[in-house]
Amino acid sequence: MDVDLRPVRKLRESAATRQALGPIIEAVCTSPADLATLRIVCDWIQYKQNFRPPVASRKIGAIGTEIAVDLRRCADIAPGDAEAEIKNALADPAGLPLEPWVPGRDSCIWRFNALYWQFLSEWEKATGRQYEQSLPGGESDARNTEAASELILELFRIWDELDARRALPDELYILELGVGNGSQARTWLDEFVQLDRRHGRDYYRRLRYLMGDYSPHVLERARRAVAHHAERISALVVDATRPGITLGFLNSKAFLVYISNVYDNLPTDELACIHGRTYQVQTQAYLTDDDADAIAAQSGTPRPALPKLIDRLLRIGPELLSESAPSHFPDTVAAVGFWRAVWEALKLKERYVPLEGLDSYPLTPDLTGEILRPLIEADGDVRMHVSNGALASLTGTLPLLHPFGRVQCHDLFLTGAQQYHTGFYGPGKYDGSVVNWVNGPLLQLVASRRGFGVQFAPFRQRPGSNITTLTAQARD
Amino acid sequence: MILPTTVVGSYSVPEWLERLKTEYYQRRISAQHLAEIHEVAIKAAVKDQELAGIDIVSDGELRRDNDVDYFLARIPGVHIPQRAKTDYFDYYDAEVTRPLPESPDDKDTALDLANDYKFTRQLTQKPVKFSFTGPFSLSRRIRDGAYERPGDLVRALARRLNAEARALAAAGADFLQVDEPFLAGYPEHVELAVEAVNIVTENVDVTWALHVCYGNRYARPSWEGHYDFLFPAVQAARVDQIVLEFARKGLDDLRLIGQHGWDKWLGFGVIDVKTSEVETPELVAARIRRALEYVPAGRLMINPDCGLRHLAPEVARRKLRAMVAGVAAVRAELPGGDTP
Repeated sequence: MDVDLRPVRKLRESAATRQALGPIIEAVCTSPADLATLRIVCDWIQYKQNFRPPVASRKIGAIGTEIAVDLRRCADIAPGDAEAEIKNALADPAGLPLEPWVPGRDSCIWRFNALYWQFLSEWEKATGRQYEQSLPGGESDARNTEAASELILELFRIWDELDARRALPDELYILELGVGNGSQARTWLDEFVQLDRRHGRDYYRRLRYLMGDYSPHVLERARRAVAHHAERISALVVDATRPGITLGFLNSKAFLVYISNVYDNLPTDELACIHGRTYQVQTQAYLTDDDADAIAAQSGTPRPALPKLIDRLLRIGPELLSESAPSHFPDTVAAVGFWRAVWEALKLKERYVPLEGLDSYPLTPDLTGEILRPLIEADGDVRMHVSNGALASLTGTLPLLHPFGRVQCHDLFLTGAQQYHTGFYGPGKYDGSVVNWVNGPLLQLVASRRGFGVQFAPFRQRPGSNITTLTAQARD
Repeated sequence: MILPTTVVGSYSVPEWLERLKTEYYQRRISAQHLAEIHEVAIKAAVKDQELAGIDIVSDGELRRDNDVDYFLARIPGVHIPQRAKTDYFDYYDAEVTRPLPESPDDKDTALDLANDYKFTRQLTQKPVKFSFTGPFSLSRRIRDGAYERPGDLVRALARRLNAEARALAAAGADFLQVDEPFLAGYPEHVELAVEAVNIVTENVDVTWALHVCYGNRYARPSWEGHYDFLFPAVQAARVDQIVLEFARKGLDDLRLIGQHGWDKWLGFGVIDVKTSEVETPELVAARIRRALEYVPAGRLMINPDCGLRHLAPEVARRKLRAMVAGVAAVRAELPGGDTP
């Protein structure tokens, strides 16, 4: 039996967790499970809102079982209850499934995520706070004039050089993907105007600042924040995972693509290498029996009808749901209440399905899993995100860059594959959205195969933050 | 034949071949096995071009890891400290610490390009174009710790390539092309680059082409701009043809051909090699008709913008077929154009 304890630091810090582990392992050992094919993996799930019960079981193909333990919550399990917890996990109660087994990126949690951004204003009205307040520190990392100034001066240097060789385009494109409330754009453009005046080359006149976001609501709010730069701004609804569809005209033209806190919020699969064999992690969203009963009662819906009702919410949104089912939801607020209750209760079952050849696994529409081989071969038994959405976004963004352009991206990046051996990096719930750390080494590898060097650096403007800055530029 | 069709040089490198090349650079397969794999791939590339109807074919440069290292790794005096690669396409770090040894009496043809040519020659009845990277571009990937004057490294490389060119001609090559993919990034050095090209072509009696593009590394342009910088310096190049990209950049620079009175051949790029979107024959034909406003049909050769190496095999085949069909349509409109 393998026991894989990942969060070493947390174990050292928490005596209660260490004490709770003994009874859990004892309970596993005395269970009827086949210990020769059993693994125990222990993670510290740092997200208070997440998709996992404290103890769960996962099938490994047809040959084994994994017991997954959340170390943060296992301290709450009384020693006398450990046996019952393990027994319950191994029994794998069905609850109320909301979908069939699917790869992680196809899970309905991403439909919830999309719903959140699409109906953000309704969510905010219901919760009484704007989404920025739910970010760590209460605001996004996008308001720093020093960072903006550095980038702008570097652009001026490049533009001066290109101008000297008559290679400077008439229009100078900057693209921001994921515009938040517009504060990044406002800070950046205000700073640009000042520095351009001092520089004296009138680049502002040639500047085209494109704001792209998935949510029309967010985009409109951001556009208002930069109304005083209206002649330089275009706002476009952009699917971050397929930027080329909307922004194809920008190919080889963008001098800077700025992306902040987008990648962690894009769909991803996870792959695992267990005893040298590669598996895809499949998931199934469900509600526990207790949660399903409570939500059914609150919404006046028979429990078996809940999955259809939830699917309807995800298809048409809370406003139309209340209009179409006024007896259940007299107004939008009630429909949002239903949405929030389901989201809060939502859990994911997981299982490992053998992958038959990396090249048969479509990582993105343009990329097979073959690219993963060096990472998998280098890191032994590991479970990792393959960050499909972030990869599709980055690989769709790189062609937009001018030969002297760069992508700058602030996000939750792992910067070394070994981090997967020592910590948990999602998925978690962040307000109404999903958060996953992004597999930085994979992005680095893929960008490298496209001729771009990728560097990671701590987010200097907020020391101690989990945010890392990725910079991608053409190399050679 | 009017409006002969050709390729710039490189041909589609399939993903499996990329993987095998990388395996070699990670020392997982032998040089002998890789050489055999290359031969099979070259045969397929030549066959693809023939089937597409290309008039003048190439070996697809499939032996080369990239446009620079294949040469630098074989030039005596170029030091490459680390020859293993994470990916075959990566560039080596190369340096020279003392002047390159000269090739005595042209006997030392260490690059052995003539042998590469001979292999291709026996595969096909079609005319063969053989291309190699020019001295200026090669020099941009070498850390020069040997020469007082920066241009001297370029000239030394040019003399080395001249020896190779002579050997190529002796082996029967009659159409050689010098590629300068880095030149557009250093327009201030165009005179030096032309001087070096003239060293390469000196006393080598073949048809010479000079290809200048904006880079095709990873199917991306390395630079942007216009071909203005080439003129008038390129007029002094002892070549018979310049091969330029137009499909991706647009046809504006055609005006330079007329404006500067370029009276030699133009290798006219009608296929964008940086997109997998396949041009229609009608679009190719329209581009050629536009070029004919500046260059007579008797001095126009039709080719893609640059090498096809980054395109998927099927896309490369379809693009070549579209090019040939577009040319056929224009030929049919020209006096005597429908006779082969």
